[in-house]
Formats: sequence, C-alpha cells, structure tokens
Amino acid sequence: MLTWLILLPVIGAAIVAVVPSRRRELHLPLGIALSVLPLGLAGFIFWIFEPASGQQLVDFAVWYEPWGISWYLGVDGISLPMIMLTTLLVPIALAASTAITTRTKEFVVYTLLLEAGMIGVFLSLDLFLFFVFFEVILVPMYFIIGIWGAERRIYAAFKFFIYTAFGSALMLAGIIALAVTHTNEFGFTSFALADLMEVSLGTGAERWLFAAFALAFAIKVPLFPFHTWLPDAHVEAPTAGSVLLAGVLLKLGTYGLLRFNLSLFPNASVDAAWIMGILAVIGIIYGAVVAIVQPDLKKLVAYSSVSHLGFIVLGTFALTSGSLQGAVIQNLNHGLTTGALFLLVGMLYERRHTKKIADFGGIQKVMPIYAGLFLFMTFASIGLPGLNGFVGEFMILMGSYTTLPVLAIVAAFGVILAAVYMLWAYERVFTGLPDKKENSALKDLSVREISLLAPLVALVVVIGLYPNILLDKIAPSTELVLDQIEQETSFVIPEPGRLDDVFVAEGDHE
Amino acid sequence: MTTPEVSWLAIAPELILALGAVAVLLVDVQWKPRSRVHAYIVATTLVLATALTAVQWTSATDAGATGDLGSLLAFSGMITMDGFAIFSRMALLAATALGLSAGWRFIAGQGRRGAEALALILLATAGFSIMVASNNLVMMFLGLEVGSISLYVLAGFSRERKESDEAAIKYFLLGSFASAIFIYGVALLYAGTGQFGILGMRDFFGVYLVLSPAVIYIGLGLVIAGLGFKVSAAPFHSWAPDVYQGAPAGIVGYMAAVAKIAGFAAITRILLAALGGLQATWLPIIAGIAALSMLVGAVLALVQGDVRRLLAYSGVAHAGFIMTGVVGGVTDGILFYVAVYSVQLVGAFAVVAAVSGVDGARSSINDYRGLAKRSPLLAGSFAVLLLGMAGLPLTSGFVAKFGVFASAWANDFQWLVIMAVVVSVIAFAFYMKVIVVMYMNDSDEELVPMGSGTQLALGISVAVTILFGILPGPLLEFAANALPL
Repeated sequence: MLTWLILLPVIGAAIVAVVPSRRRELHLPLGIALSVLPLGLAGFIFWIFEPASGQQLVDFAVWYEPWGISWYLGVDGISLPMIMLTTLLVPIALAASTAITTRTKEFVVYTLLLEAGMIGVFLSLDLFLFFVFFEVILVPMYFIIGIWGAERRIYAAFKFFIYTAFGSALMLAGIIALAVTHTNEFGFTSFALADLMEVSLGTGAERWLFAAFALAFAIKVPLFPFHTWLPDAHVEAPTAGSVLLAGVLLKLGTYGLLRFNLSLFPNASVDAAWIMGILAVIGIIYGAVVAIVQPDLKKLVAYSSVSHLGFIVLGTFALTSGSLQGAVIQNLNHGLTTGALFLLVGMLYERRHTKKIADFGGIQKVMPIYAGLFLFMTFASIGLPGLNGFVGEFMILMGSYTTLPVLAIVAAFGVILAAVYMLWAYERVFTGLPDKKENSALKDLSVREISLLAPLVALVVVIGLYPNILLDKIAPSTELVLDQIEQETSFVIPEPGRLDDVFVAEGDHE
Repeated sequence: MTTPEVSWLAIAPELILALGAVAVLLVDVQWKPRSRVHAYIVATTLVLATALTAVQWTSATDAGATGDLGSLLAFSGMITMDGFAIFSRMALLAATALGLSAGWRFIAGQGRRGAEALALILLATAGFSIMVASNNLVMMFLGLEVGSISLYVLAGFSRERKESDEAAIKYFLLGSFASAIFIYGVALLYAGTGQFGILGMRDFFGVYLVLSPAVIYIGLGLVIAGLGFKVSAAPFHSWAPDVYQGAPAGIVGYMAAVAKIAGFAAITRILLAALGGLQATWLPIIAGIAALSMLVGAVLALVQGDVRRLLAYSGVAHAGFIMTGVVGGVTDGILFYVAVYSVQLVGAFAVVAAVSGVDGARSSINDYRGLAKRSPLLAGSFAVLLLGMAGLPLTSGFVAKFGVFASAWANDFQWLVIMAVVVSVIAFAFYMKVIVVMYMNDSDEELVPMGSGTQLALGISVAVTILFGILPGPLLEFAANALPL
C-alpha cells in the first residue's frame, strides 16, 4: 500500500505527460484530480494506522542483494503527519497555480514527481533508498524555481541546488561509512535503518557521522548559519513552489534529524544536544529579528520559517517526551500555517504584482475576507491558544525546559518576537485607510481561493482544539525513540518530562 | 619447440571486426555502393562479434564452474577469455554500435571517404578489443597501438576544419609519445621481473622479495603515465579538450568512449592482477591521480563556455572517479562505471553532434539556449544523460559512483571518498549550467534536426541510463562475475 502512495503521483505525472501540449486547459485540472488520489490513500492510511510504536504497513523487496539495498517502506507516528501534510499540500498548491500559464504541463509533472519524492523520503527505512529520494527531489524543485520563478530565479534555483546537494554529498559518505562498518562488524552488507542502528561505533566515529548527517539536515531545515539559501529560494519561487518548499521540503531536515540522527547516533545526539539547541535558538531569535525588518511580505514569511523551524530542532534535541511530540506535531503545524501564509501572499501578489509591505495599507477595508483569513493564520503562526501553533510550541518549550532550561527561556522570547513581526506586518498591510489608489480597487477572495484555504483553516482549528487526534498516534513512536536513547546511552530522560505530558491522554503510556 | 595451439574462439570477435573492416573497403572499391550497404555490412559484423563474445562468455562460465581456468588462455597465454575481457569487449561493442548510430549522418555525409571512416572505426574497436583481452603486456601494447593509430586518423577526419587538423596532430604527437612511455615502462618491468605476462608478473611478486625495486618502480610509474594519458587522467589530460573540440562531432563520443573502456581495462588488469603485490606502492600514486583528476576536471569544467570542452574536462573528472574505483580494488565497480559512463558519453556527443550542425562548428554553450523549446526530445535526452553523468540517484551514474565510493571507503581511503563526494557537487554545478541554458533561457533559433541514427543512439543511451539506475542488478551481477584471471 505504501508503495502505491509513491507510485500514484508518478503514474499521475506520466498521465499528464502524455496529454498533448496543445490541450493546455487540461493539464492543471487533470493534475489536481490525480493528486487527490494520494491524498485519499493517505487518509485511509491515517484511518487504519494503529496508535502503536514501530513501523506499520511495511513494504519490503530486495533491490540488489550483494549491496544489501532494498525497497523498504514503513510508516510510524513520526512519518504519518508528514505524509498527511504532503498529500494535502500538493493538490492545494496545484490548485493555487492558475497564475502559471506557460509550460503548464511541465509544471504539473514536476510537482507530481516532487510529491512522489517527498513521500518516498518520509517512508524510506533503507538509507540507500532514503538518499535516492532525498537527492532526487532536488531536480523537480530546481526546475520549479528556475522556470516559473521571479526575476532572479536562476540564481536562486542554483543556490538552492548546490547548498542542499553539498549537504547530502557528505551524508552519502556518512551512509557509506555506516554500511562499511556494518559489513565489517556483522559480515553482511545492509542499508536498512534497523540494521544500521545495531552498529557499534567508537565515540569519534559516531560524532563525525552525526556531523555528516546533521549538516545535510541542518542545511535543509535550514538551521542557522546554513539558512542563506532559503530567503532567495522562497522569494523567487512561484507560490506553489514556496508552499511546498516551506510546507514540506524544510521538514525533510527536521524529520531527518529526528529519524536518523537520534536513532543512529544516540550518544552523539545526547552529547551534541546543547550545540544543536544553541544553533536552534540562535535561529529562532535571528530569524524573528530579521523578519521584523523585512520590507517584503514573502521574505518576512520566509524568515519566520527560520524562526519556527528553530523551535522544532530545539524540541528534537531537548530529548523529552513532550518536546519530541511537540516537534513532530509542529512539523505539521508549520506546514499548514506557513503554507497558508505563502498562499495568501501569493494571492495578494497576483492582484497587485508587488510584495512590498510599504505598497499596501488599509487593505482590510477592500478585502475583508482576505484580511480575516490572514489574521487567522497570523494568530495560528504566532501560537494563539486554541489554534495549532500553540500546541506545538507550548509542548516544545515545556519539554525543553526540563533538559535545556536556559535555551527554553531564550526561545520563549521568539514567541513574543513572532507576535511582533507578524502583527506589525498585519498592521502595516491591512489597517489604516486605503490611501493608495491601486489598493482601493483590489478584489476580495474568490470562492475558489477561499475553498483552497478552507481545509487548512479547518485543520488549524481541529489540531488546536483536539491535538490528541494526532498525539495519540505520534506518542508511541517518539517514546520508542527516547527508549532507545535511554538504552544506548547513560542519558536519563527526566521523569517529569515523561509523565507530565499535558496533552497526552492517560493510557498512552503505562 | 612446439607450435602453440590455436584457439580461434579467443580472437574470433577481433577477427570478425578486422574482416568487417576489409569487407567494407573492398565492397566500396568494387561496387561503390550507397552508404546503406555499408551499414548492413557493419551491422552484421557487430552482431556477429557480439554473438561470438556471448559464446566466449558461456565457455568462460563453464571454465569457472569446472575450475579449469587455464583453458581460458590462448596463444601461449598471450590472450585470455576471462570474464573481465568479455565484459570490457561487450562494452566496446556496445559503444561502437551506439557511436556508429550516432555518427551515421557524419559518416554517410563523407561520401567515398565514409568507407574509410567505417574501416577505421572497426579496426580501432578490434585493437582495443585485443587490448582488453591481453594477458601479456606486449600484446596489450599491440592492441593499444592498433586502436590509438586508428583514432588519430579519425580525429583528423574532417580536416577541412582547422580545429580538426589541430586535434589530429595534437592527439597523434602526444598520443604516440604516451605509447612510447608505456612501452618503455613495460620494458623496465620486464627488466625488473623478467616477465611480460600478467600472470607471470603476479607469480613473480608472489614468490620473490624484490630487494632493489627501483627499476620496477620506474617501470610502474611509466606504465601508469602512459595509460593515464589514454584515459585522460590528470596530469596527463591536456590533449583531451582540444581533441574533443576539434575531432568530428559525430564520432568523438565513440573515440572517447572506447579509449576510456580499453584504457581502464588495461589499468585495472595491470595494477590489480599483475602488480597486486606492489599495491603499497601504487595505491598512493593512483589515489593522488584520482584526486587530482577529479579536482582539475571539475574545476576547469566549471569555467568552460564550450560544451565539448566541458564534456572533455568532465571526462577528466570521471577518470578520477574511476581511479577511485581502482583504489577500491574491486573490479566490478570499475567495470560497471566504465560501461555506463561510456554509454552516457556516446549519447551526450550524439546530442552535441546534432546541435553543432553540418559544419560541426557550433558547440558553444549559447547554441543550446532554449533547446528545450526548440527540440524537447533532444534537450530532455541531454538532460537525462547529463544528470546521469552527474550521478543523480535513479540514474546509472549514481549506482556507478556509489559502487566505487563504497569500495574505496572499505579500502580505507576515506579522504579520497570525501573529496569525491564534494567534487560530485561541483560536477552537478557544471552539468546544471547546461541544463539551465537549455530549459530556462528563451531562444529564437531554429529547430535542430535529428537523424534516425541519432534518435536510436539517444533512445538507447537514455533508456540504459535510467534502466540501470533503477534496476542495476543484472549489469552489476554480470560485472561481479566478470573477474580477471
């Protein structure tokens, strides 16, 4: 079944590819229709997913035996939210791409291939397979930014590609090193995550390998100081590109840190937790401060991503139940809210062809629905209680306080700064009088645009009010990660962190 | 003195190729037929040669099963029919078939001289085919010279163009110098060991402890330098860009591919089979050459404004990657890499030939502007081949790189692997440069016509690149079974 989740978008891309180029009106609707199929399948998977630890619905097939590589897929509580997010955002991103009028067919094909690659990354349980997906997704994203982007698109696409390719290159060396060590120790070659977790590494080797993997993921997240590709890529990318970039692609980094760094290198993870935490907190504060002074709305949202993803990394390396669950759920939350914000900015850009904050003012008089939705997503993004952002950030900060108290306190200022830059931007764009002539004629959102945002709004509320719908499924998997760390290292997860899970219903752990 | 037993099967493919070359020339003189007739002769020759190679494979596997490996030697141990030779020969024949298909427009356009080009190509393949099957360094030299001299002539085949003239002279002078260096190295190895044979040398190092190895070391160095030239590894690469740029676009892919296949087969056989006992000496040298080739090739490719020169420098980088496989000491990784890279190379030059037009002059990167709009199939194929060379996962290039990197890492050359992965990123940068120009720039130029030969060559090379990227198993298994004696 999981194989089909990857194959469906590929088949969809093939179908769109054979539609003749001159039937241009067909490509986008067909692509949207085809991308709903994986969403349906993902929904079904969510439905039958048991709230238990370990991988479920495993698909396994030997790829090339002497090398020990295999087609090995599985889903657990950490990857499940990411699958939901990916399959949800792709149809929305496609449906929001009516502004793309040139080479529509290629655009749809690349987007669907991108979807297949992203799902593949989240499902892979074999490091070779994982690397294949991790690297392959660069190409469609490169084309999406490079062909349909704004003025400096080629530069931005190139920078995006080279930065991330550099990170993953060193990870490839790390993967090879792990596999070679495994062969020497056990006498057979394997790239399966479960097998490689058994490898016993010396302290030095483990730290080097941790660094190689962490660098690849840190560039992807992006963690300070590897973030410089992100604003360029976001600003130049078309709306759908930005939505998928912020919504899903960045999560490959946080997901990778949680899935691979913590499981493969528990000792190094414990030792390096404070380094990663400091980098994360620098990212939180730095991203927020830079976001405050951005004159460009899209860049502002891009820097806010740097800040928000810092929370996720902090939560990951705080190594407590609450912080880890918070990190996983915040992965999803950030995808929903930032995806929605990029959609909103894109909608404004289509009307006015500018993203400069200074060009606007008083928009809420002429576009009340738009302003309402923007304000709603702003609240979700800054973590207003009752909405999804609050759940994740609160759990992360609570959980982090037990192990990294100083960092948690500093990070909490990031929440305040988020309110500053988002609300100040809102104030400058939406409040006051519409004193600029061009702005007074802006049309409010159409039914199509509202229906694009509706599912995101609904999820923001649902997760905000009833996070257990997800946490029930996430918690067993994150607990398993922590149990493994406790077994492998002398690190003891502070008990309060494991008992006081504010949001986890009783009965989830004994 | 006994007459050596003649095993015709061992040299049957080469005989067929040589006969094919003669047949093309004779038919041309006698009947002056249209080029289509030549195509039939050449195709028959290649099919027969491939079939005979397949027959050799069955006898090689039989010998492997019975343990009677001696039966694979022929002509007093000069020639071997081991799996390594057979795999390399298969790769040579495939590259020849693809190269001929891609270059057919050029060859047919040569009029009466077309037959000469065909004969030279068949002879070059025959020579290199002997070279990969040689179990003796003198035999190897003969094969090398037959192949190389044919290539010198081919490089200057369209000598109406000044660049072609220059390419031929440069290739000839430097190439024959390299051949001389190689044979001098062979002589010194003989002086040191008293052996010309691969197996004899291996046994020599197994039995004797060499107390004053200076002569052997110099011989080793000269052999490496001579063969390093043939595969355009740095610092012996300086001819490659000029030759790739000047030689006729239609056949330069073929020329580069067969030289690389044969050169690396020889390097692998000499270093791993004959001089395995000197590993401690040559490992650092080869690792150094690998590192230098990767760096020089990638960095210089980055600044090229001409696609042919870019491919030439990227070929230097690839020589470095394959050398990394030699450092890894595993023959299957090297064979797989060489095989898939040569297919990509021929395919890429098929595109270059199509774009550069009849006069063969246009190979600046600007001539590729907006190619995706003008000729989407051509641009798409080129993009796949370039990404394959860059080593993107799901292409054969990635599997190839992965194989050589893993073997070098297992052989404790971690620094080389780390350098190689970093260079791979630089490689992405220059291959992407071409893709950017094709896909992200507009153009008002005209369509690029594609002959059916070009289409065939491109279709096959793209299919191979993707197929062996997704399902590398069969070819990897073939390579794993193709061991040198």
